Amino acid sequence: MKDLKHLIYFENLLQEANNELVQKARADGKYAVGYTCYFMPEVLLDLPGCFSVRLRAPRCTSPDIATYYMSARVCHYGRSLFERALEGGYNFLDAQMATETCTVTCRFQEHLQQKKLDSVADMKVIQNENFFCEFIDVPFKKTENSYRHYKEQLKYHVLDKLHEHFGIDISDEAIMKAIEQHNEVCRLINEIGDYRKLDKPTITGYEFHVIQLVSLVCPKELILPYLRETAEEMKTREPDERWPFRCKVVLAGSENDDPEFTKLIESCGAEVVADRYCYGAVESRVPIVVKEGQDPLDAIARHYLDTSNCPRFMPQNIMRERKQRLADLVKEYKADGLIVASNKFCEYWSYERVIDTVVMKRDFGIPVCSIEKEYINSASGQLRTRFQAFVESVEIKKIQEGK
Amino acid sequence: MAKKKVDIKKLARDFWHGKPHGERRLGELYEDKTGLYKHREWRGVKDTLYYFYMIWLYNYIFMVKDIMEMGGPLNFAKGVWRYRWVGQTYLPVLHWFDRGMEGMRGEALRASAWHYRGMVNETIRQFQRMFVADTKLHGGKKTDAWYHTMAHNETVWGGIFYPWSDHFDNVAMEMIPYFVTCHVNCHTVHNYIDAVQSIGLPGDPCPMCQAESGLFVMDDMPDYAPFMITSNEACDASVATSILQDWFYDKPLFAMPQPMQFDDPLVQQHCRREIEECWKFIEEQTGVPFNWDQLVKKLRLQNQLQEFEREKWEVAGKTSSYPINGVAQALYRIYYSQDGDRAIWHFCDKKVRKILEKCVSKKINTFPKTRHRVIAWSCAPLYYSHWCTWAYNCWGLNVIINMDSLMFDMSIRTDTYDHCLDDMATYHMWAPMRRMAVGGMHHIFELWEYMEKFNCDFVMMYDQLQCKGMQGVHGLFEDEFRTRNVPAIWMPHALPDSRTVSRAEIRRIVNDYMTTVMHEEPLDPSLLDFDDSMSW
Amino acid sequence: MKKGKCCKCSLGRKLGRLIAKLLGLILLGNVALFIVFFFDLDGKLLFKVVEPLLKKHYDNMDRKDTLKAPYDMDKYPSYEYEV
Repeated sequence: MKDLKHLIYFENLLQEANNELVQKARADGKYAVGYTCYFMPEVLLDLPGCFSVRLRAPRCTSPDIATYYMSARVCHYGRSLFERALEGGYNFLDAQMATETCTVTCRFQEHLQQKKLDSVADMKVIQNENFFCEFIDVPFKKTENSYRHYKEQLKYHVLDKLHEHFGIDISDEAIMKAIEQHNEVCRLINEIGDYRKLDKPTITGYEFHVIQLVSLVCPKELILPYLRETAEEMKTREPDERWPFRCKVVLAGSENDDPEFTKLIESCGAEVVADRYCYGAVESRVPIVVKEGQDPLDAIARHYLDTSNCPRFMPQNIMRERKQRLADLVKEYKADGLIVASNKFCEYWSYERVIDTVVMKRDFGIPVCSIEKEYINSASGQLRTRFQAFVESVEIKKIQEGK
Repeated sequence: MAKKKVDIKKLARDFWHGKPHGERRLGELYEDKTGLYKHREWRGVKDTLYYFYMIWLYNYIFMVKDIMEMGGPLNFAKGVWRYRWVGQTYLPVLHWFDRGMEGMRGEALRASAWHYRGMVNETIRQFQRMFVADTKLHGGKKTDAWYHTMAHNETVWGGIFYPWSDHFDNVAMEMIPYFVTCHVNCHTVHNYIDAVQSIGLPGDPCPMCQAESGLFVMDDMPDYAPFMITSNEACDASVATSILQDWFYDKPLFAMPQPMQFDDPLVQQHCRREIEECWKFIEEQTGVPFNWDQLVKKLRLQNQLQEFEREKWEVAGKTSSYPINGVAQALYRIYYSQDGDRAIWHFCDKKVRKILEKCVSKKINTFPKTRHRVIAWSCAPLYYSHWCTWAYNCWGLNVIINMDSLMFDMSIRTDTYDHCLDDMATYHMWAPMRRMAVGGMHHIFELWEYMEKFNCDFVMMYDQLQCKGMQGVHGLFEDEFRTRNVPAIWMPHALPDSRTVSRAEIRRIVNDYMTTVMHEEPLDPSLLDFDDSMSW
Repeated sequence: MKKGKCCKCSLGRKLGRLIAKLLGLILLGNVALFIVFFFDLDGKLLFKVVEPLLKKHYDNMDRKDTLKAPYDMDKYPSYEYEV
């Protein structure tokens, strides 16, 4: 396939959190607001006057100081973020909008926060006078009580704080404007991503992963022109005559912001056609619908709880529906199998992976490759062997089924 | 060769009073590896006879009585035959007493033993209720008891079920099959941890949650109730455990998560509604309406327990006459606070009050060889909860109070529904391992405040290796200990799993610190190093 | 009169003997129990005999293969309550 015009530029944007577009937006007087989890609605952080940056710690292989503070027995992602913060890599942030949605990222963000307690000295990690860190409480259910609570949290801890600290306009009109911009990003990402549903997809999983990530870490306004151009380019992109892969897979699991991981899977012959993991597009790029007469904040609160498939949700019907959702994705994207990957020390996904591995195969007949990985995949040799074996087993299954 | 002179006077003194702390060698009583005693300790005539009659014999007799009264011997026998966690664990329960009360004398021995008695009685009530109701023990038959029992996670406070307590009973799913077993026989739980890992769970999530899931994987959970209530406490792994519990238990499940940011006043309202929704679910499942009067009655009784606890803490903090040792304090407190009001707690508290009053009025120094008053912080190793007894005997480290005891420090108002629900929500959110551990960065460092309140000069910092929440603040504690110049020992452990850090390894770490940092000599050198690897 | 006195005496003696026997038995029972207690014979019996037998039994028990447990996607409703 012909190379995408902006792919190298996108790849470069992913090398640093404080990338070229982030710097440009800040130079234009906008406030940079960091976050880590889907449950912090990026759309609210993209209100006119500020922009969201979903935090990553690319190329962080040895988080030594963070390991002193958090020990080596917590997830590498949380430690890497903290290490990057301690190195000064997030000093551009004006605020961190935090969630206590998984223990380690919560602790990382608590370390950023100035708690002003007598009992423990604050670490002044972010060297930015404006900086503040605010937490929201995220419910574990999708009931009316949850929506109400979540909405209150977003109002009080996100909107009001952005207004208080930076004078951000938090009116319904401003929120509607942010939703509009957000939905355009979603539309473009989905348009680009839908080419993965073709029999011979005209975009690889790696390319899509890079595009999805830049949409999360760059100011929306500045990345949109590139996304529009890429979407146009995709319309005429032709697949290779010979499809270079041996099967298609859905990649599900915990936090994953490393396109090299997707590249590794694809180098073993499995094209990644859908990305149901933290930082993936399956959930985050569903457009937000505001019904006639509906309060936009209410629509946002419902949207983020309803679209999430996070294993953090505890109601029985939702725990079970998650498996159906995965099976539906496999069907929708015409995938031959499923890779479930959890980061080492991620407790939610350790359990979810166990049940997915059994139930998806047993009840839906979907081949499953279940792996545990690090944030930065230093153990690529072992993973390569696993993926190659999985691709072979999927191929054998296809031959047996006469496909 | 000169003949060794026999000191008759000393022999008589040792016979009558027992060898004094400092001269006695408790480590010489152990059989190698098994931890069994060559013979039990001679504590002097009075205390040995007290231990024999009022602890050993009394508890054996009352264990039989409890079993006869609560479900009968047949159900017990069936349960023992069917479930590993009861058979392998609860028969050697008197050895659990021995380990917790080694070397103790006088009022401390008596008061601590009453705490143990309370826990044994409540444990029997719970497992016998499970067995009476269990369809697996009754050919699949759903008995009346099955319909009248409510199952819930052990981190759901028993108080949630008070409104139905006049007609129904509630039993935590994991409290007895998992939590208590680890203290009594530390080997049982390994089976459950291995079981869940055998289906693909990695070894790094919290081992408590692993064990709780393993019970279901091994089909070792009685089917004793028509529905269950689950909780997210205390951590991500607890949330995830319910995924497997739902799969293997396959019965109506109501998730009642506790909000995480419990200091936020907005969260209180949300938590109140969660509790009310849970009550609606119970009403729907049982067909029995919520009973406000019953709730108030039980809460008032629970408040009495809390009031006495505060009186105890007054004595513990301000005097050297507190007659409860570290392990009894920790286990009894967390047990009743989480379990909720039961008659046995009041019975035991009454007995302990008498002893406490005697100690205070006579100014009895209950732990006379105390060199350091210790506060134990974070979550303790379940397989070595009696380390406190060892540490006192060996080094004079007297554990006055521990974090788990302090978490539930509140009375619940019952004057109005509103106040009551507010307080219940708070109590619920301060659940075990949350307020000052996994959650609550703002509360974890209340350690210093409590050190002062309880007049402690030494910290035993539990280091649960697989607790992500506490590992995430490890460095901050290091910094604070250094800045404040507080002597602290990090005690690594893996909650229930004694294979990760053995008891011997824990002792070695304490010994090293006491000799190399504190430059102290042991009170009983025979306890420095011994092999109890096979011990219960 | 004489006969009656004799009868009383023997009854008293019998009762005395019975009480002595009972006290003896109680004492013996106490001594036996104390020996069990002091030499940790209960612990030794449980550790060396009962527990190994029970463990053997538990290890060899037929257990349900829980991985075959059904997992129906729509078996349970969403619990939603107005409060």
